Amino acid sequence: MPPPRTREGRNQRDHHQAPNEDEILERWDWNCPETRRLLEDAFFREEGCIRQGSEECQKFWTFFERLQRFQNLKTSRKEEKDPGHRKDSVPALADLPRTYDPRYRINLSVLGPDVRGSRGPGRGLPPERVSEFRRALLHYLDFGQKQAFGRLARLQRERAALPIAQYGTRILKTLKEHQVVVVAGDTGCGKSTQVPQYLLAAGFSHVACTQPRRIACISLAKRVGFESLSQYGSQVGYQIRFESTRSAATKIVFLTVGLLLRQIQREPSLPQYEVLIVDEVHERHLHNDFLLGVLRRLLPKRPDLKVILMSATINISLFSSYFGNAPVVQVPGRLFPITVVYQPHEAEPTASKSEKLDPRPFLRVLEAIDNKYPAEERGDLLVFLSGMAEIGAVLEAAQTYASHTQRWVVLPLHSALSVADQDKVFDVAPPGVRKCILSTNIAETSVTIDGIRFVVDSGKVKEMSYDPQAKLQRLQEFWISQASAEQRKGRAGRTGPGVCFRLYAESDYDAFAPYPVPEIRRVALDALVLQMKSMSVGDPRTFPFIEPPPAASLETAIFYLQDQGALDSSEALTPIGSLLAQLPVDVVIGKMLILGSMFNLEEPVLTIAAALSVQSPFIRSAQGSPECVAARRPLESDQGDPFTLFNVFNAWVQVKSERSRNSRKWCRRRGVEEHRLYEMANLRRQFKDLLADHGLLARAQAREAEDSHSRLQQRRERRTLFQLKRRHEEGGARRRKVLRLQEEQAGCSSDEDRAGPAPQGAADSVDIQDVKFKLRHNLEQLQAAASSAQDLTCDQLALLKLVLGRGLYPQLAVPDEFNSGRKDSDQIFHTRAKQGTVLHPTCVFASSPEVLHAREREARGREGSREDRDKMSSRHQLLAFVSLLETNKPYLVNCVRVPALQSLLLFSRSLDTSGDCSRLVADGWLELQLADAESAVRLLAAALRLRARWESALDRQLARQAGPRPQEEEEEALPLSPKEVAALSRDLLQFMASKVPYSLRRLTGLETQNLYVGPQTITAAPSLPGLFGSSPLSPHPTKGGYAVTDFLTYNCLTSDTDLYSDCLRTFWTCPHCDLHMPFTPLERIAHEHACPQAPQGGPPGSEDAAPEPLQKASALQRAYRCEHCQKDFLFTPTEVLRHRKQHV
Amino acid sequence: MVSEAEHRPLGMFECELCALTAPYSYVGQKPPNTQSVVLLEESYVMKDPFTSDKDRFLVLGSRCSLCSRLVCVGQECSLFYSKRFCLPCVQKNISAFPQEIRQDLEKRKAPSKRPSSQPSAQP
Repeated sequence: MPPPRTREGRNQRDHHQAPNEDEILERWDWNCPETRRLLEDAFFREEGCIRQGSEECQKFWTFFERLQRFQNLKTSRKEEKDPGHRKDSVPALADLPRTYDPRYRINLSVLGPDVRGSRGPGRGLPPERVSEFRRALLHYLDFGQKQAFGRLARLQRERAALPIAQYGTRILKTLKEHQVVVVAGDTGCGKSTQVPQYLLAAGFSHVACTQPRRIACISLAKRVGFESLSQYGSQVGYQIRFESTRSAATKIVFLTVGLLLRQIQREPSLPQYEVLIVDEVHERHLHNDFLLGVLRRLLPKRPDLKVILMSATINISLFSSYFGNAPVVQVPGRLFPITVVYQPHEAEPTASKSEKLDPRPFLRVLEAIDNKYPAEERGDLLVFLSGMAEIGAVLEAAQTYASHTQRWVVLPLHSALSVADQDKVFDVAPPGVRKCILSTNIAETSVTIDGIRFVVDSGKVKEMSYDPQAKLQRLQEFWISQASAEQRKGRAGRTGPGVCFRLYAESDYDAFAPYPVPEIRRVALDALVLQMKSMSVGDPRTFPFIEPPPAASLETAIFYLQDQGALDSSEALTPIGSLLAQLPVDVVIGKMLILGSMFNLEEPVLTIAAALSVQSPFIRSAQGSPECVAARRPLESDQGDPFTLFNVFNAWVQVKSERSRNSRKWCRRRGVEEHRLYEMANLRRQFKDLLADHGLLARAQAREAEDSHSRLQQRRERRTLFQLKRRHEEGGARRRKVLRLQEEQAGCSSDEDRAGPAPQGAADSVDIQDVKFKLRHNLEQLQAAASSAQDLTCDQLALLKLVLGRGLYPQLAVPDEFNSGRKDSDQIFHTRAKQGTVLHPTCVFASSPEVLHAREREARGREGSREDRDKMSSRHQLLAFVSLLETNKPYLVNCVRVPALQSLLLFSRSLDTSGDCSRLVADGWLELQLADAESAVRLLAAALRLRARWESALDRQLARQAGPRPQEEEEEALPLSPKEVAALSRDLLQFMASKVPYSLRRLTGLETQNLYVGPQTITAAPSLPGLFGSSPLSPHPTKGGYAVTDFLTYNCLTSDTDLYSDCLRTFWTCPHCDLHMPFTPLERIAHEHACPQAPQGGPPGSEDAAPEPLQKASALQRAYRCEHCQKDFLFTPTEVLRHRKQHV
Repeated sequence: MVSEAEHRPLGMFECELCALTAPYSYVGQKPPNTQSVVLLEESYVMKDPFTSDKDRFLVLGSRCSLCSRLVCVGQECSLFYSKRFCLPCVQKNISAFPQEIRQDLEKRKAPSKRPSSQPSAQP
C-alpha cells in the first residue's frame, strides 16, 4: 500500500492531464473481471493465440495467478542478488543480453495492441500492466510449448522402449519379400500399436487392421492416432458396427473381423487395402478362422496384397504352415519373472454337498499374501474363476475377510456387470490396501488391469457349448488349456515380478490341452454357413478352414437353415436367406424383422428385434431390491419378455425426449443398465437401414423441420451437442479414482446405494452417452415410434405376437400339466428336445405364472363342476422363446405366450390328423384333442388357406426386394397391396381369436414311436377337395394317411377310437340346402363349405372360428371361366366349387 | 474449417542429438494461423498434435546458432537464450552464459537420474 499522502499529491498533480491513468494503476486489480475483460479484449482477439472466453482463457488466468504469486516471492529475493558478470570469450556469443532475464529464454514473442495509440482495444491501459500481462502470456505460451513437447518426447521414448521396436525394420523387410508374415509376440510387446505405425512410416496408406472386439478397435485407433501424432487428424480411424471415424484421408483403419468379412462380401478382391493386419489370430474366433480361409483363397488373386498375422506365441506353426510356411518374426514379450505356486485342493471336508464353490482355498491365498508381503509393498490380486456364481461365492467370503483385516478391496469383474462397476477395477486402492479382483476369463485377454502382482488361477473356465439337437446353449465348466494358464499367469508380471497361485496340481497342468478349443468346434454354425453361402465360397463342407469344424455341426447348420427357409433343398440361398445373411442377428430375429415389415409393424418389430439381440438390460442384483422391482412393474407386460423390453425401451425414449429428465437416473432407479438401451437404439437403427436397403421399408426421410426457425433451432442444438462431445473427448478418458475401503464392504448391491450424485464429479455432469445418442439418432423419430407404441391396438398387438411366434417357431415350450399346482418359482416347461426347463428369474411369467394357466381361468367360470382330467380349454398357451440356456438349470430366455392351437396350426412344419381331424399332432410331439370334430376341420381348413396366403404374400414381399432392378419386369408376382395385407391381417386375427375347447398334451416317448399307422394299402383318397384346397391327395409314404400339403398329413395317426371314423356316417340335414344324407364329419364340413345356399357369414354355430370365404384378392385365386354361364371369374378353388354347384 | 492440407507435413524433423523425429509442416518465424505470435528463431513447427485446435502449433526445434546442428527444443538437447544453442555448444562455452543458466544446467543434471515414477511412492 502506498502511503496515502503520496497518492493525494499525485492525484492533485495529475488531476487535469490524465486523471484516469494513474487512478487505474492505483486501483489496479488483476482479479477484477472488468480489468480482465479489457486485457482479453486487447490480446485475445479473433486471431489471438488464445480465444476470449475459451477454456484456454480460463487456464491462462489460473496460470497467471500462480505466476504472480511465484514472482512476488522471487522479486523480494532477486533485489538482493547481484547480477552475475560475464566475459564474452567467444565472439559469436558477444551479443547475448548483458543482464539475465527469464524472458530471454523464451523463443517467441507476442504482438500486442499498441497501448500508446489512441485507438485500438489497448487504449487507456497502463503500459506497465500491459507489459506485465504480456510477459505472463509469454511464459504461459512457453509453458504450453514445453508441456506439449515433453509429451511428444516421452511418447517417442516409450515407443522406442517397447520390445517390438527392435523388430520394426525386420518386419518391414520380411513383408517386402513375402506376401504373408506372422508376427508373434506376447502381451505387452507392443505389436498391436506399433506394427500399424511402422507400416505408416514406411509409406503404406491403405492399411486395415482387424480386431476380434469392437472395443479394441476404438481404443487402438485412439492410441495409434495419439502415438502417430494424428490424434486430431483422420489418418488413423476405426470402423465398427455403429460408428466410423473413417474418411478419405484415413490411412490405417481398425475394424472388426465381421465388418471386414462384410467388405469382402461386397468386394471380394478387397481392392481398398494394400496391407491387411489380422490381429489376435491365436484366439481362434469363428470369424477369424473363416477370414483366414477367405484370405488364403484371395492371396493368389491379389499378389500385391500383403497380410500380417499377429498372434501371441501360441501355436505359431499352425498359422505359418497354413499360409505356405510364411516367415515368422517372433518378438519377446515384456514380462517380469513370475513364481508359480501349485496349491491343489486337498481332499477337504466339504462343508456341504452343495454346488456352491468352496471359497476357502482362495481365502488362504489372501491370508498368505497378508502374512508374507508387507502392506507397504503394493501389488494387487487377480483371481480367475469360472463364472458369475463362483465369483459370487468367493466375493461373499472375501468381503467378510476384507472387512476383518481392512487390507483388501474386493471387486467382481464379469461381462454382466454394469459398465460403471466394470470400470471400478481400474481404480486405485488406498495405501496399505490391495485390490482383489474376482474375474472370469474376461481378464485373460480382453481387459488388462495394471498393477497386478498376484494371480490366483482356479484352472476352470465356463464356456458355451452348443447342442444343435436341442438348439440349446450350455454353459459348462471345463479345465482351461495350458495356453490359457500361461496367459493367466502372465497377468502377474506386467509391472514387476509376480506370483501365480495355481489351485491345481502340476500334474493337472500337464494334463491340460495345449490350446483352447477353437470356437468353430464348439458353437452353432448357422450364421457362419449363411454367411459362407452369401459370399459364395462354395460348399462349406469343402472349405479349406485352418482347422475344419466337426462335420456334424455343418450338417446341422445346413439342415437348420433349410428348415428355416433360408436355404432351399439344393442348399442354395433363398431370397429370405440372402436377406437374413445381411442381418447381423440370429436367424429367428431376422425372420421377425422381415415378417414384421410385411404387416406394417416395422416400428415395434425393430425395437423388439433389437431388444432381443442385446444382453438383458436388467441388472441382476437389482432383482433383490424391492424398490427396483416395484419401479419396473408398470413396464412389465404379461404378454412376455419381448413386450416388457419393448415397454422399457419406449419409456426410456420418452424420458430422453423430455429435456428436463435424466435418463441415467431413471434407469438406475429401475435397475436397468442404460448401456444396453443405447445398444438397442443403435441396433434398431442398423436394422432399419438394412430393411430400407432391401426395399422392405420406405427409406426414412430425414424430416426437415418445416420452418426456418425450427431448422435453425435444430442446427443450433446439434452444434451444441457436437461441442459437448468434443469437449468430453478432449477431457480425456475417465480418471482413476481411489477406491474407498468401506464402500465395498457394504455388499454387492452397490448400484442402488450409490444412486446419489453422479460419482464422477462435475466434469461428468454432461452425460456423454446421452450426447452421443442424440447426435446419432433422430430423437423425434424415435419418440414418435415410442409413443405410437402406446397406441398399438389390440389387433396390432396380436399381430405382433403372431409375427414373434412365427419368427421364433419352432422354439416352443409347453407348460407342464401340473404347473397350476406348483409354486411360482417351480413352474416347469418342456420343449421338444428338452424336458423340465424353467423360466429365467427375470421372466415376467416367473412372477405371474397364472396368466399361463389355462384351466384355472376356465374353472373359475364353472366352479364346482367336477372336471375330469381332460383339461378341455380354449385357452391353452405355449411359450415361444428366444433361446434356451443351460447353466445350473436349463432356462428359457425371453418368452412370449402364444395361443397353442392356433399357433401350431399356423406354424407347424408337420401336422398329422386323425380321420375326423379332431386329434392333431404337431411336429410329432404335441397332441391336440379337440372336443368337436366339426370345428377342428373348420379350423384346419382355415389354417391351410391362411398359410398359403401368408406364404405367397411373403414371397412377393421378398421378391420385391430381391429384384428391385427393372430387368425382371415379368412380374409374375404382383406387388403386395396394402389391401391384401389388411385382409390377411384381419383373417389371421380372426383365426387367432377363435375359441374352441381342446386339450393339449406332450406325447410320451412311447407314444411318439407308435404315432403313425404307416403305409396303407387303401388307394382311394377321400374326395374332399373343398376342404384342403386344390392340391391332390397322395398317400404318405411313411406315415400313412394322405399328404395334403408338405406339412399336413391327413388321417395318419394310429388310434383306438377312430379307426373306422371315416366310415362312420350319421344322417345329417344341411340347414341351408336341406340336403339330408349320411355324412362323416369330414364330408359334412366339406358340404358346408361348398353349400351354395350357405350365407356369406359362414356356417352358423361356428362363432368366429371359420374365416369368411375370401372375397378379396387372394393368393389362391385363379382365373376361372365357367362353361355354363360363360363368365370369367377370379376364384379360389373353393369358390370354383361353390360356383359349380350352382349349376348342378 | 481449416483443411488438412494446411498441415500436410513438409518433411521429417530429426534431432541430430537425440534422434527425436516428427513430421513438420512449417519452417520459419511466423507459424500459419497465428497472427499474434512471432518466433524469435527459424523454427521447425508442426501443428500441436495434442489439441484439436487447428491453430495451435508446436515448435520442434531449430538450428544451433553456433554449430548449426538441427536440434530439438528438449532440455537435454538445447536451450534458448536469445538464440538457440545446442547443449554441447553451451557446455563448450559455459562461461559465456549467465549464472542462472549455469545453475540451471547443474541442477538439471542431478535430479534427472532419479527414476521418474516409483510404484511404491504413491501418496
